[in-house]
Amino acid sequence: MAEPKKRGCLGCSLPIVIIVAIVAIGIVVIGFLAGPIGQAMFHLDLPSWIVVEKPAIHLAAPHLFEIGGFPITNTMLAGWFTVIFLVVGSWLITRRMKIVPNRIQVIFEFLLGWIYDLCESVAGKENGRKFFPVVCTIFLFVAFNAWLSLIPGFGSILVGGGGHEYELLRGANTDLNTPLAIALVSCVFVAFYGMKSIGFSWVKQYFNFGPLLRSIDGIFRGKLNFMDIFSNFVNAFVGGLEFLSMLIRIISFTFRLFGNMTAGEILVVIVAFLVPMAMSWVVYGFELFVGFIQALVFAGLTLVFVTMAVASHEGESHENKNTEEKELLKEGT
Amino acid sequence: MGGISELGINWGVLVTQIVTFVILLVLLRVVAYKPLMKMLDERSRRVKDSLEQAEAVKAQSAKTEEELKKQLEQAGRESQERIERAIKAGEEIKTKAQEDAKKEAEGLLVRAREEIKRERDEAVDGVRREFADLTVLAAGKVIEKSLDKKEHRELIDKVLEESTNLKKN
Repeated sequence: MAEPKKRGCLGCSLPIVIIVAIVAIGIVVIGFLAGPIGQAMFHLDLPSWIVVEKPAIHLAAPHLFEIGGFPITNTMLAGWFTVIFLVVGSWLITRRMKIVPNRIQVIFEFLLGWIYDLCESVAGKENGRKFFPVVCTIFLFVAFNAWLSLIPGFGSILVGGGGHEYELLRGANTDLNTPLAIALVSCVFVAFYGMKSIGFSWVKQYFNFGPLLRSIDGIFRGKLNFMDIFSNFVNAFVGGLEFLSMLIRIISFTFRLFGNMTAGEILVVIVAFLVPMAMSWVVYGFELFVGFIQALVFAGLTLVFVTMAVASHEGESHENKNTEEKELLKEGT
Repeated sequence: MGGISELGINWGVLVTQIVTFVILLVLLRVVAYKPLMKMLDERSRRVKDSLEQAEAVKAQSAKTEEELKKQLEQAGRESQERIERAIKAGEEIKTKAQEDAKKEAEGLLVRAREEIKRERDEAVDGVRREFADLTVLAAGKVIEKSLDKKEHRELIDKVLEESTNLKKN
């Protein structure tokens, strides 16, 4: 039997579609009128609860309260919220894992398995398995910090603190401390595996003064070799540049994430201020995407850096590894 | 206020966030990664096992089939051989029978011939004896009658004629 032909559009009958369209247009119009642009153009007297106040933007996270002299900020609370969400969620899913998974386990395995495959494809089978926990934690923490702060009502709970009112929760990524913390962890992680795989020479690639001092020492013993001194000086200088680039790496990690997330937050606030109620969802979709991309970039770059730190050891014995490093660098940028 | 604190860098918060991250890492390791890895490994192991098993079963069945085929072939060959042997045996029996019959027939023929020859000889002997008797008889008669030359002649002719007749008979 053929299905009865659907009338109207989008599976609804025509009157319902028209009503929905009118309501949507009404929300857009009211939102526009209630926003500052509409107010400036038409000077309508709308009820005060519709009109949005001018948003105040703080870069620094406010201290909500102190425990034993230790300040607690709303971004810290949000970070803990993310931690609790991730841990409890993972626990609920992995509590009863089955060989033949149910739907939510499939989603969980797909997301983590995808990151795991990424680790394996970049770092190789053995190292990928070692790097996976940290890389995956970075991804999950950054992504869920971003996504959870998009839940409606996340930033709407206000608490009074020192005469001002602040949000109880604010996306942890929008506090400069969080990206910096993750960047430092990432850097320590890279340094740890660099030292573990190539030992002390990992430090030597940054502080390469030994040969230079030896050749300078040679001058006093009467063995003057300008070429030697020059090349060792250049080597030491390159080491210094490497060290500088590592520091810059941390800073770029930090400010990339902080900038993107804070800009997103501000964008949401501004759009909600300019056209209340109507246009925020567009920005929301965009922010979901940005959160995912930033998490992927953070985790992916960490993965690439740690792979390079481990691979440079093998590069000494095998010349052809250098090309691999270059490819990884290309991937990283 | 100014400089870096305007951005919100704060040692306390920074350290707290690092600790938070490390706690998250440790907890997720226990709660998410280990079970996940175990599950993925277990699953890949099972898939590998079942693939290997399937391969083994396939090999086994192929082997069995091969064996069966071989057995069938052998059985066919054996039965063929048996039939051939039977045919050969039958033919041998036939040939032997034919030969025996031939030999027997030949024996019979030889014996018959011998019999015939003996009987003829006997008959000839008998005729001879008869002839002699006749001769004696004739001689006696001759003696009795005291024959003249002419009569003597006639007598002999007569006897001879008689004997010829006898021979003819």
